[in-house]
Amino acid sequence: MEQSPVPVPVQGGTDVDRLLVVHCPELLLEDEGGAMLRTFAEVIAAVETYCPWVTAVRPGICSLPSRGPARYFGGEGALVELVQAAACGVSPSEVGVADGLFAAVLAARRGLIVPAGGTPGFLAPLPVSILGQRDLAGLLARLGIRTLGEFAALSDADVIGRFGADGTHAHRVASGRSGEQADLRQPRTARLLAGEPAEDLPVVAEPGFWGGVSDADARAARCLSAAQDLLGPDGVVTVRLQGGRGPVERARFVTWTTGGQPQGNASSAGAGAPWPGQIPAPAPAVVHPDPVRADLADGRGEPVRVSSRGLLTAAPDRLSVEGGPWEPLSGWAGPWPADERWWSRSRRRGARLQAVTPRCAHLLVAERGHWWVEATYG
Amino acid sequence: MFVSAPHRRLGRDLDPAALAALAAVAERTRPIAASQTRLLPVLPPLAGLLPDRALRRGTTLTVGRPGDDGSLSIALALVAGASGSGSWCALVGHPGLGAVAAVDLGIDLDRLAVLPRPGVAWAEATAAVLEGVDLVVLCPPFPPRPAMARRLVARARERRAVLIVVPGRAGWPEPPDLRLQVDDVAWEGVDAGEGHLRQRRMTVTVAGRRSAARPTRHHLWLPAADGTVADGAVADGAVAGAGAGAGGH
Repeated sequence: MEQSPVPVPVQGGTDVDRLLVVHCPELLLEDEGGAMLRTFAEVIAAVETYCPWVTAVRPGICSLPSRGPARYFGGEGALVELVQAAACGVSPSEVGVADGLFAAVLAARRGLIVPAGGTPGFLAPLPVSILGQRDLAGLLARLGIRTLGEFAALSDADVIGRFGADGTHAHRVASGRSGEQADLRQPRTARLLAGEPAEDLPVVAEPGFWGGVSDADARAARCLSAAQDLLGPDGVVTVRLQGGRGPVERARFVTWTTGGQPQGNASSAGAGAPWPGQIPAPAPAVVHPDPVRADLADGRGEPVRVSSRGLLTAAPDRLSVEGGPWEPLSGWAGPWPADERWWSRSRRRGARLQAVTPRCAHLLVAERGHWWVEATYG
Repeated sequence: MFVSAPHRRLGRDLDPAALAALAAVAERTRPIAASQTRLLPVLPPLAGLLPDRALRRGTTLTVGRPGDDGSLSIALALVAGASGSGSWCALVGHPGLGAVAAVDLGIDLDRLAVLPRPGVAWAEATAAVLEGVDLVVLCPPFPPRPAMARRLVARARERRAVLIVVPGRAGWPEPPDLRLQVDDVAWEGVDAGEGHLRQRRMTVTVAGRRSAARPTRHHLWLPAADGTVADGAVADGAVAGAGAGAGGH
């Protein structure tokens, strides 16, 4: 699912450290009684067996400089595996590496190693709201700037003039020239972990942003932002419809942003238009995001294939999904032509088939000489 | 060793007990004429399944049992009425939403958030969206611990949201306010190579607490031929007039 980010060289001098971040989703709160914090201390102790310079950033998040240890353990991939295994031994953890703390935290939430110099490209598609500065994000939204990349593309002079000192710093973060996003570090945490009193240090609130239309939209936007803080930006998506023959082609999942508020209709052009070769309604409720292997056989147990003219070589009689037991078909329909491969870009002639078993009805597609379950009428 | 800071906890919650008490007071003092706001509308063919003929805010429903076909369709159909009238909905833990089917049922994609793969943080993420979304369909990716499930049920009650759980293989340890179960399904429209899937008739058993203690059985077309849901009652073995396409947008 994750796309590897396109490395874009950082322009000008940067003083951004290459950091490995460990993110423990179950330990993100400073809870009463300190049970989560104690578990977090154990995570840090486990990670410290590989590198002594672990910093507690805030509850559930710690970082370490990755260059030295990566060289010692044979590369960042090897280091990430070691650290992840050590941390997960204590509490479920995700590990990532990037330039600067801000990007490294986001990389950790997605379990990514962003290549050196690739951080600006990694940040570019993310929504501005991820900076956690509500006023700034609102201002940028009104200017039509929705992503960190668009924000980063503004010139320094423009940013100073319009957004002041805070905006300038956020601009440096967005462009990967600084890794220190405001309010990301919570110094209390390190103090509490050291067993020292920290009552004088404030709890930094989770960043939040909303730009809703109605009260209900605003409330929803706030809680979805909170969910994104937890899961990463791609953890919350919305769906758009577009034209296409199969159910996979007709839906497009896009990262949820507060800027993507209701536009009246989530369908784009062509969504409702009849499409040649489209499977007749009703549509399947479940569309499998990853291909699921299937085997289709005729009455004598011989595999059923699709001929070069798009016809079936025999009448299907039974189906097996992912190597499971054979199930008799109570009915089937098709084939419909399918020209596109749905999980790759290369094109080839295929076919779709509806198959009904005692338990389920499936939409099958023949590609690369195999049958796959594309969708299920679940 | 560790300093607890009850008044300065990170996070968005107030004291849950205080919130629940406040909600209870608000409920008591609400004028009777406004009692409709305690209910979220469902599509007309589904009204007969629910004791209030609508979804009651603050309640939890489960749909289906392990391996059941049609559970996600029912969950989507249940939220479609409220979604079509402006409520926000979220789908948590299902990476394969059939968006066309959702739209055909009447779900407004503009107010639908999908958290497809919340991973180990699924319960926390569900709690977060219950804060500000009216209806949450949850497909737990892992078996929930009883305390976790209880917390989510309590959160739905406090926030006056509707939590619809599709337990799937993970299961759900808490007794819900209402349990919907798919018993029989039969597809129409396909034969050996002829036609295409046209509609599915299913029997749904509904059981719950209080006024819904006695299980009731209902017949639905889901999906009906136009992708909506329709009453599937059968009179003397024949399909009643409310057949294909009678479901409303």
